[in-house]
Amino acid sequence: MLDTVKQLLKETANFEAKNLEEVEAFRIRILGSKGELKKLFAEFKNVAAEDKKEYGALLNQLKNEAQAKVDELKKSLQSKEKAAKFEDIDLSRPASYRSIGTRHPISITKSQIIEIFSRIGFDVSEGPEIEDDWHNFTALNFPPEHPARDMQDTFFVEKDPDLALRTHTSSVQVRVMENNKPPIRTISPGRVYRNEAISARAHCFFHQVEGLYIDKNVSFADLKQTLLYFAREVFGEETKIRLRPSYFPFTEPSAEMDVSCSICSGKGCNVCKYTGYLEILGCGMVDPNVLENCGIDSEEYTGFAFGMGVERIAQLKYNINDLRLYSENDKAFLDQFKSAL
Amino acid sequence: MKVSYNWLKDYLSLKHKPVDLAEIMTDIGLEVEGIEKVESVKGGLEGIVIGQIKEVTNHPNADRLKLTKVDVGHADLLHIVCGAPNVAENQKVVVALVGTTLYPDEKGFKIKRSKIRGEVSEGMLCAEDEIGLGKSHDGIMELEEAATVGQAAADYFQLESDVVFEIGLTPNRVDAASHWGVARDLAAFLKLEDDIELSKPDVLSFEGKTPTDFSIEVKDEKACPRYAALKIEELSVKDSPNWLKNRLLAIGLNPINNVVDVTNYVMHEIGQPLHAFDLAKIQGDQVIVKGLKTGSKFTTLDEVERELSDEDLMICHTAGGMCIAGVFGGIESGVSETTSGILLESAYFDPVSIRKTAKRHGLNTDASFRYERGADPNSCIIALQRAAYLLQKVADAKITSAPVDHYPEAIEDFLVELRYQKLNQLVGQQISKQTVKTILQNLEIKILNETKEGLRLQVPAFRVDVQREVDLIEEVLRIYGYNRVSMPESMKSALIVRPKKQAYELEELISNQLSSRGFSEVFKNSLTNPAYYAEADDLVSMVNPLSRETEVMRKSMLEGGLEVIAFNQNRKRHNLKLFELGKVYRKVSEAKFQEEKRFALWTCGQQADEGWNQESRAVDFFWLKEEVLGLLERLGVKRWKGVTQEGTADFEFLYSLRKGKIELAKIGLVKASKRAAFHVDQEVYYAELNWDAVMTVMPKEEITHQAVSKFPMVRRDLALLLDKQISFEQIRKLARQTEQHLLQTVNLFDVYEGKNLPEGKKSYGLSFTFQDQQKTLKDQQIDKMMSRLVENLKKELNASLR
Repeated sequence: MLDTVKQLLKETANFEAKNLEEVEAFRIRILGSKGELKKLFAEFKNVAAEDKKEYGALLNQLKNEAQAKVDELKKSLQSKEKAAKFEDIDLSRPASYRSIGTRHPISITKSQIIEIFSRIGFDVSEGPEIEDDWHNFTALNFPPEHPARDMQDTFFVEKDPDLALRTHTSSVQVRVMENNKPPIRTISPGRVYRNEAISARAHCFFHQVEGLYIDKNVSFADLKQTLLYFAREVFGEETKIRLRPSYFPFTEPSAEMDVSCSICSGKGCNVCKYTGYLEILGCGMVDPNVLENCGIDSEEYTGFAFGMGVERIAQLKYNINDLRLYSENDKAFLDQFKSAL
Repeated sequence: MKVSYNWLKDYLSLKHKPVDLAEIMTDIGLEVEGIEKVESVKGGLEGIVIGQIKEVTNHPNADRLKLTKVDVGHADLLHIVCGAPNVAENQKVVVALVGTTLYPDEKGFKIKRSKIRGEVSEGMLCAEDEIGLGKSHDGIMELEEAATVGQAAADYFQLESDVVFEIGLTPNRVDAASHWGVARDLAAFLKLEDDIELSKPDVLSFEGKTPTDFSIEVKDEKACPRYAALKIEELSVKDSPNWLKNRLLAIGLNPINNVVDVTNYVMHEIGQPLHAFDLAKIQGDQVIVKGLKTGSKFTTLDEVERELSDEDLMICHTAGGMCIAGVFGGIESGVSETTSGILLESAYFDPVSIRKTAKRHGLNTDASFRYERGADPNSCIIALQRAAYLLQKVADAKITSAPVDHYPEAIEDFLVELRYQKLNQLVGQQISKQTVKTILQNLEIKILNETKEGLRLQVPAFRVDVQREVDLIEEVLRIYGYNRVSMPESMKSALIVRPKKQAYELEELISNQLSSRGFSEVFKNSLTNPAYYAEADDLVSMVNPLSRETEVMRKSMLEGGLEVIAFNQNRKRHNLKLFELGKVYRKVSEAKFQEEKRFALWTCGQQADEGWNQESRAVDFFWLKEEVLGLLERLGVKRWKGVTQEGTADFEFLYSLRKGKIELAKIGLVKASKRAAFHVDQEVYYAELNWDAVMTVMPKEEITHQAVSKFPMVRRDLALLLDKQISFEQIRKLARQTEQHLLQTVNLFDVYEGKNLPEGKKSYGLSFTFQDQQKTLKDQQIDKMMSRLVENLKKELNASLR
């Protein structure tokens, strides 16, 4: 008996396995419910009394060592197998990936404009698109029957009294001025309409962001400074601005602003038509008539206003030369803006 | 508006190149939109010379052709075949030499040495129309005897090349709607740097002459504050001389005859429209300025018969209308070749009256353009003086009298005050008093009085845009230079407190969530096709639509997205997840309209692109529902109620999320018939967030933090056999009513609706979780809650345990 146990101990110590199946077979042979150990324990009663102590100790030793051996082999073989399994995985297979979507380039540009102005204390205001004559024209110093009204081809919803689709978001500024006391510092983004035939360069709807700042002692120099900051934020630190006198009924003096061409740095190229400058917005000092129309004392307060087309800014940022692309919504077009910031 | 460089040089001794001058004009507010080099005749008459016909013989092989020998100053005479009936010996003629290109049309053709019916021809004798100097094709041009043989035709005809500026004149600047006006503005700037002279055009003085003997009666003095007219009884109507034709051609006007050309010339020179009536056609020797009866017919110069309104101011004689005042002349009273005397009108009409008439008749003439912006009431006589001077020169006019001038109430110049302090404050920079004064004076604004604080000024009446202090500030700043104003070092800002998130920021939040979740944002025109809507009563329609496709405002978002899906589907892009934030518009009642913001979501095709490790699954209702609930969760909108609706005209089925009576969102499957109208051939699920409504139910308070329970969560499952029509929502609601405190969540983890179930039944696998804030829940307690729940489910919803 003792010899059998010793033989098994030796076998256990020398046992090696190539795979988990061999380990399991070994476990069953030694430690299984019908295994050698079980049989040897059953022989205990037949062992001579003086050998019983040694026999018992050896059996326990065998049990422990066999278990330890099984555990050890299992562990090492398992990790080996696992390693072998990972080696086979092709990690370059495509991800099961729910692809991200995109914002529309007009939204992205609009958000950027808003963010730039929010940083210097402008809040956002909105208003209706179906507007009355007062807010879209008359309050803004477009006298009835004035040729200035021809500057904007208007869609009418009703005539006499006139209701129209707003031709600019300046109408929102009137509403803000009517309902708030200065200081006022706000921008009004929104959709506007012009009765123009649809082409690569004109559309019957587009988007504007207009800005308004009214306080004591607001000057033309302040306007230039604000717009220079804006131009540099959008087109780069080196950007220069140029103002040209112009005419809008709601501002006096009025100006159009050009920025140095970001593509050729002012040297002259196709995009700026060899002028070195790009026209981007209209601006001016709020006309005293407009302030008075909105119940603001024009002796006490002055202000500036500016307005730009979002499509125009996006056109320059992304080099989009056909306005119709914006409302076509070709997915392949939109997908290009996934990473726009 | 076109402005000629050569013409400007009549008044200004310009040293500037056209390009530099253009930049100055733009800087002072006369924006140059284009610069064009022009030759009054295409090709500049290059290769065309003056010749003399030395010999004419018959062509041996053609009856209508003649053989000529022509002296063009070369050693040899040229042999030229000619078909003109008027060709004769010794004539001085215009000869196009071999190699010359002629432009009787845009394309032109080249003169070659050729044989015509067997006879050599080395050039061409030209008719007026063949070299672009006129329209006549009656024969070759016969020149005066004094013409020099061999002289270049360009020199003979005094052809000049010119540069023409296209100026985008803003509606306020009618003072610059003429060459003189532009020169005056330029001078105001140029004088700041240079000693530059601005010289006035030559005029004929009427001094010593008595006013025209002609009756002028103005019935509507409000619409016609001034009417002056000069009678010229003797003149001869003919072609204008070349210099005059060239000036007009350069700015895009067609020469007509010397009299009409002079009226046009003066208008473009000093801005005052003139009109010439044939004296013989003015019946009753009287001009009456009045409206005619509504409905009267009147035929204008363009041979269009127009129906008048009694508000249209007319220039009449005793037998009816002759001219729509300040807008367009009549066909009968105009100057023609037979005219031997004229009445020359120089008037000032009310801008609003002119504009209404011009708009009513859809006319926009050079005259109405100026009148409706406000012409100069005080230049009427000067314009007549200038026209008289020119007509004497070009039409042999005999000026025997002075004009008659009906001007009952003189229109005064504007008196305006300017405070230096106000100017400096608005500009944000000090401009020296001397500079201010110089600029104003250069602009012909008179200083009446001067104090330390400011100026009292007299602004000429033609500056209709300068009637207030702020207008003067603009004038000063415009000439001083917008770009010379320097910017402050630090920024001024107003302190405006806004504790709440602005609506715009929430829109950004949701838009960004959607795009992160795979949705692409689209922008559709909110003007759309009325055919999309069965119900038209509440549509917002345009009075003046651009087209049928853009006639109305959209009253739902759905259709725009279907257009986008169709567009992309045609480009083989089928798996689409789209969203748009936009407005829908509705007519509520007469003159009352409503605009509401919506987030619209469209999805079709597969949830994800085909992959190696996942089954391809089509988007469905629950996929889209997940997105909508995600948006509401982000906004903190809880405890909404889901209502399943019957299908509608547009949807197979619709699920509506509500809070009280307010609909927050809806989700549905678009009907096949609806999408068929857009040629969309795959299923489209649509959802819509009623943004304005969602904004009203958003939590107003900040989140209050709750202590997280330290005690374990316990889960119990139930498998229920239910009637088919019982909804999960009913079960959830009942569970919540049964256990209001400890029940945390109810979830549906399995649905079975197949075989082995009784007819009309379904099986739901449900899990319930319980948790207490204060203690660990005991089995006994949970069992009690579960049995109460099962009992209620049995009782209320006819459920049984499986």
